[in-house]
Amino acid sequence: MSVPAFALVALLLGIPILQAVYYSMTDWDGITAHWIGPSTYQRELSNPTFWRVLENNGLLLIAVPVAILIPLAIAYVLNRHIPGWRLFRTLFFLPTAISWVVIGMVAARFFAQQGSLNELLRGMGLGFIRTDLLSGERTALLAVAIAFVWSMVGTNTIIFLTGMATLDPTLDEAARIDGANGWVIFKSITVPQLKRFLQFSFTITVISAFTALFSLIFVMTGGGPGYGTTTLEFFVYQTAFAKGAFGLGAMLGVVLFVIMAVIGLVQLKLLRTDD
Amino acid sequence: MTSYVANTRIAPRRRKRWTPSTTLLVVLMCLVTVVMLYPFAFMVDNSLKTQAQFDSGSGHSLSSWAKLTRVIPVWRELLNSTIVAVLAIAVILVVSSLAGFAFAKLRYRFAALVFLGIVAAMLIPMQSIIIPAYVNLSKLHLLSGYWAAVLVYAALGTPFATFLMATYYRSLPDELVEAAIVDGLGYRATFLRIALPMSVPALVTVTVLQFIQIWDDLLVGLLFLQNPDNRTITVGLGILSSGRTTDIPVLMAGSIVSAIPAIAVYLIFQRQLVNGLTAGMGK
Repeated sequence: MSVPAFALVALLLGIPILQAVYYSMTDWDGITAHWIGPSTYQRELSNPTFWRVLENNGLLLIAVPVAILIPLAIAYVLNRHIPGWRLFRTLFFLPTAISWVVIGMVAARFFAQQGSLNELLRGMGLGFIRTDLLSGERTALLAVAIAFVWSMVGTNTIIFLTGMATLDPTLDEAARIDGANGWVIFKSITVPQLKRFLQFSFTITVISAFTALFSLIFVMTGGGPGYGTTTLEFFVYQTAFAKGAFGLGAMLGVVLFVIMAVIGLVQLKLLRTDD
Repeated sequence: MTSYVANTRIAPRRRKRWTPSTTLLVVLMCLVTVVMLYPFAFMVDNSLKTQAQFDSGSGHSLSSWAKLTRVIPVWRELLNSTIVAVLAIAVILVVSSLAGFAFAKLRYRFAALVFLGIVAAMLIPMQSIIIPAYVNLSKLHLLSGYWAAVLVYAALGTPFATFLMATYYRSLPDELVEAAIVDGLGYRATFLRIALPMSVPALVTVTVLQFIQIWDDLLVGLLFLQNPDNRTITVGLGILSSGRTTDIPVLMAGSIVSAIPAIAVYLIFQRQLVNGLTAGMGK
């Protein structure tokens, strides 16, 4: 009974990942492939563009704590069941339903020189700050990171709310009676109990940062300016389908797979040791 | 959960909830709401303009909505999105419920290994397999129809769906299956008549998660739906928006149309979606 599932996964995920490893050692252009061994890896490791792309992935990691801490704070507030907290929860999670394509379209207009961000700054009397984030390599990545953090708010808030609902409220009471203030309770009681949920949200956020931003980047910046917003996943697509270098694209895909597998296995190990 | 909800609803202390600090927090959350809902407001506002009004930043008109179906084949694309999503979800439901049941309730050789193999595929990023999968399916001449995209979506969704279904079937008592088998029902009938109807909540969760995933996806559709007539709405919008000459208000109207089904599904099945999301933690 498990044969159809296994066959589907093996044929469309298992075999292709093995093929990717094989083709990464060839000069494949999609039609013919000659074995060239691991030289692509050597060549790519000394290619500055490859490191530039990995650097972008590294820089996106800086956004991960932000994408976790903001939702953690929001969840903490909502978990106090302030008036309307259920409505807030629904509204904050709503963007999760819409496509990265749509988010990217709006974000591109928001950050543009004639866009809403500058209008907003002007409205606040800060008209002298004129931003044009999308035209600089580093600033464009910042814009992508902001859109990314924004879009993780819903998912992470829900994860933390679910976690907080499982907490023992008597611990808070006891701490409060002992004179602990809100911040101390949050830091010393709530957060440690949420460890598992924090790990889970960390994994989801890193996975999203590395493998879910293709559509956002495609629509928002096209990977540019230069290689400013080209992350590894986008580089795979660009290399294979824009430049026709299938072997090299396959190799980059393998690198991405190894990174994700390591992250996944570490997460699995952490969960195991906790239980 | 239900009793808890009821408790807060009765809330004899309701007055007390509006302390100064609570009020401050509510105001803060209202600000967050503005930030989170900004794109929706942006889309609605700008879809009600012409390109000229968008450029000048003032005035409203319905003309972009009137133009929408001429500029973007929205009906065709909505139909394509629906076809692809429905077919892929159908495949996912069939294979994952069968496999999930087998892993949870039947003993057979290599079961653990096969299960691990399927679930471990969750670690494979789409981008890592997309090039070989693209070439394989193009050699099979599947790229001109819906099937290549359907199969890739189905394969990508199956690992997590199988994990979810297996978890669900494990939570059903073993005696149920044993009793059915003792009563003379075969494995097939036990699955179809007893286990499957009981797993409807899990099936709904899988459906909702996958629907939003597939509906909103760009990359797979971009590569595996080569015939422009087969493009899903998200792919259609993605291709249009990456061009520089596009009429933005029309694009915004198209975005709203594309977002409505996913938002509707979200609002109706919010609870199942949240369940599915946190099920990944394997409680």
